[in-house]
Amino acid sequence: MTERILEVRDLRVQFEGRRRGDRPVLAVDDVSLHVDDGETLGLVGESGSGKSTIGNAVLGLVRPTRGQVLFRGADITSVTSGQRRALGQQLQVIFQDPYSSLNPSRTIGSTLAEPLRIVRRASRRDAAAQVEHVLAQVGMATDTFHRFPREFSGGQRQRIAIARALVLGPKLIICDEPTSALDLSVQAQILNLLLDLQRRLGLSYLFVSHDIDVIRHMSHRVAVLSKGSIVEQGPTDEVTGSPSHAYTRALLAAVPVPDPRVRSV
Amino acid sequence: MTTTIPHSGGAVDLDGVASPLGVSGPSRTDPRGRTLWRAVFRQPLAALSIGYLLLVVLAAITADYLAPYDPSDVDLNQILSGPTAGHWLGTDSLGRDVLSRLMFGGRLSMAHAAIAVATFLLIGVSWGLIAGFFGGWANRVFTWLIDVIIAIPALVVLLVVLSVFDGDMTIAMVALGILAAPGFARVVRGVTLGVREELYVSAARVFGIPNRHIVVKHILPRVAGPILVHASLFAGGALLIDAGLAYLGFGPQPPTPTWGGMIIEASAVVSRQPWLLVPPGVTLGLATLALALLGDAIRDAGAERTGRAPARGSRPGPSGSMRSSTASRPARAQATDALLSVRDVSISLSLDGRQVQVVAGVDLDIRAGETVGLVGESGCGKSVLGSAILGLLPAAGKVTSGSIVYDGIDLASSGPRTMQGLRGSGIALIAQDPIAGLDPVYTAGQQVDELVRRHQGGSRKAVRARSLDLLNDVRLPDPIGVAGRYPHELSGGMAQRVAIAMALAGEPSLLIADEPTTALDVTVQSEILQLLRRLQRDRGMAIMLITHDWGVVAEMCQRAHVMYAGHIVESCSASEMFDHPSHPYTLGLLGSMPRRSLPGRPLPAIPGVVPTPGSWPGGCHFAPRCDFAMPECTEAPIPMLDAGAGHGVRCIRYEDIRGSSR
Ligand SMILES: Nc1ncnc2c1ncn2[C@@H]1O[C@H](COP(=O)(O)OP(=O)(O)OP(=O)(O)O)[C@@H](O)[C@H]1O
Ligand code: SF4
Ligand SMILES: [Mg+2]
Repeated sequence: MTERILEVRDLRVQFEGRRRGDRPVLAVDDVSLHVDDGETLGLVGESGSGKSTIGNAVLGLVRPTRGQVLFRGADITSVTSGQRRALGQQLQVIFQDPYSSLNPSRTIGSTLAEPLRIVRRASRRDAAAQVEHVLAQVGMATDTFHRFPREFSGGQRQRIAIARALVLGPKLIICDEPTSALDLSVQAQILNLLLDLQRRLGLSYLFVSHDIDVIRHMSHRVAVLSKGSIVEQGPTDEVTGSPSHAYTRALLAAVPVPDPRVRSV
Repeated sequence: MTTTIPHSGGAVDLDGVASPLGVSGPSRTDPRGRTLWRAVFRQPLAALSIGYLLLVVLAAITADYLAPYDPSDVDLNQILSGPTAGHWLGTDSLGRDVLSRLMFGGRLSMAHAAIAVATFLLIGVSWGLIAGFFGGWANRVFTWLIDVIIAIPALVVLLVVLSVFDGDMTIAMVALGILAAPGFARVVRGVTLGVREELYVSAARVFGIPNRHIVVKHILPRVAGPILVHASLFAGGALLIDAGLAYLGFGPQPPTPTWGGMIIEASAVVSRQPWLLVPPGVTLGLATLALALLGDAIRDAGAERTGRAPARGSRPGPSGSMRSSTASRPARAQATDALLSVRDVSISLSLDGRQVQVVAGVDLDIRAGETVGLVGESGCGKSVLGSAILGLLPAAGKVTSGSIVYDGIDLASSGPRTMQGLRGSGIALIAQDPIAGLDPVYTAGQQVDELVRRHQGGSRKAVRARSLDLLNDVRLPDPIGVAGRYPHELSGGMAQRVAIAMALAGEPSLLIADEPTTALDVTVQSEILQLLRRLQRDRGMAIMLITHDWGVVAEMCQRAHVMYAGHIVESCSASEMFDHPSHPYTLGLLGSMPRRSLPGRPLPAIPGVVPTPGSWPGGCHFAPRCDFAMPECTEAPIPMLDAGAGHGVRCIRYEDIRGSSR
């Protein structure tokens, strides 16, 4: 039987207003979800629905107001920096924006080797060997090591960001809109890569996207998010094939169909 | 509130380059230490300043060996001599050599400034980094302390310090550094706050990288530019203050030479030998000036690299050599009833100072009332073509060949006057990022008014009435309420409706919509698309729809053109495009859609990336990525071929491909 790798229970995140006097924003409201080993849970919703906030709460980048995040049964809702370092070997992230997710002033090699050197205390040579291994896994040439992010296109940077997520051999990767900034043909390449890595390495994904087609392609199960709450959750073909919630139906109906014969009126 | 989904991929974002309303993607900062210095040195004044500062420092360091005299050697036979062969810069009222005193004096003056700068940097940088990175109480204490320190009169404190510590200049200079640090710390904090939000910092935190390491390795290099600018400006100030304090009688006492001290001695005898003021005055003045110029140069270099400064050195290239070599165009059925007719248009832009062709031999027609899709990935030239039609190419961009005929007028060869007249009333534009396209200081209503006034004039009241009509036409629920709001108070969908209302103000017969819904949520997108369809039906307006979304093409367009690397590679009716795609790129692009594939199965992706302009392969631009490529494909330019029934394909193997896609 498959094991539960991630469980989120009654998560609530409330942000103080950005400026003094602003009202607090309830970004995530009583969300519960789980991800099993080797599984992809798709998290779909419109802008501001709280998708990224859920991912960030799992990653410890925002502090939940209430609720629990369990990783392999252990509570990681608030952990010390030492525990976070241990967790970083299991739990990783790929962000949407391939332009800001790599430090522009450092070579790809030093960015990717950093966690190995600092968290694993690997020797320079071991770190370099491991970095070259993950770069090969994502289909980047070995000379990538000494180059800077600006020398790469968006799709290539996203491959590099995936390599960075893989470098410590994680089990669960939070993918926050990993292809939203990419062209269609490049998106296809990256989605293929993620599927291939999942198969080869047995990864689990919490896959965040606003694009229901991408979610349908990638996920075993889907959770539909609206205004901070999950309105519907279940196996992908059920949720996208026979949605039970009106919001899911509206979301599905709004996607333009790439077939001129079914043009909506 | 809106998700921005820039679909730009390559390092050169052509679709962003000429984005007509100056709307471009997020600025891609690329600060690399090494290139910063290179950029600084490229500026002649900066190089000169650095040279001068080095000279002064070297002179002070080597004074023991190179100074011609001891700085306190008195020669009463030669006082106030002015420049002579023995004393290049003359002598002072005790007959001491001015050059030697200047060299030795620089030591103390510059050492004082260095102490102040070191304190200033130490406190300002660490304080700003801590407050910016950790926020919370560190930040609150910081703000409070700044308010306190800034309220203290700096000069008074300095004088008090000097009298308490008996004129100890080291302590005075430390105090000076402390007093100046808060303003600087505030700058460092601001930059840090920005960098802290960068995703690579989040990524490092997910790894559990210690904060100390993140600050030193990830944040510090990014704030280095502003730090250097401020340090350099402050160093100049410290030199002046050091001299000023000498004037007030503080600092090393005679006969120890300092620049400030020399100026005072000179001013005592200024009526007898005015020359004496020149050497210390000029040395000090130039040093301050050099530091200020250097600070400016670093700032400019930083701005240049982050793309915020105006582009420089873009010169128009030789247009003759740029003409495209589209040989034959056997396939074009000339549409006589076209509202807009684009023929063999090539466009070049200035990229990194080179003139590069970005659109090559494009043909397309739009009939009145028709919606035509222009499909392609980023960097293939879609937006550039759109801006050329509107006459909105960036300064160094131009149409190097071909014609763009609208309503009988060739826009490519007509002047800006004609264009100005047509823009808005003949051809209008709506852009991708609606909020960025609106002016933040005017309300939505004022911006619509402005356009209505320009196009039809009338009393203030009539104008507003027409504006409200337009806002009503784009189905805004509360036109009067929306008219009174500022752009930042609108949601993405509302802002796009306002932008459409503005485009409609001149009753255009052609609307160029450049990714009008890319930045919007799907539910909002579907409302906007419906709105565009309705407006088109009611007004008989033609739409040129630039998009990368096949769903939008299918919903909206009668005809579609696929662009790849500057060429139109396939043109036909939208239904034909979906049913019988005949170019390998079209095929690949359609296949890349997750919707057309089985969940979890590999998508038939096109390998590789779109080539950047200037590095297009010879022959077929798609050949390096094409599964069907043969040797003939790369030998000569591929013309647009007629595949029957108004279907044009730029591929010599289109018949095989069409067969394979069945
Ligand atoms: N650091 C923050 N401070 C204050 N409010 C925030 C912060 N981060 C997010 N929010 C707010 O929380 C809500 C949810 O935001 P979140 O980024 O999770 O949405 P999302 O579903 O990821 O949207 P998108 O598709 O635009 O990325 C929004 O209203 C947002 O404005
Ligand atoms: S011309 Fe050749 S290389 Fe170009 S698309 Fe056709 S088959 Fe491919
Ligand atoms: Mg998000």
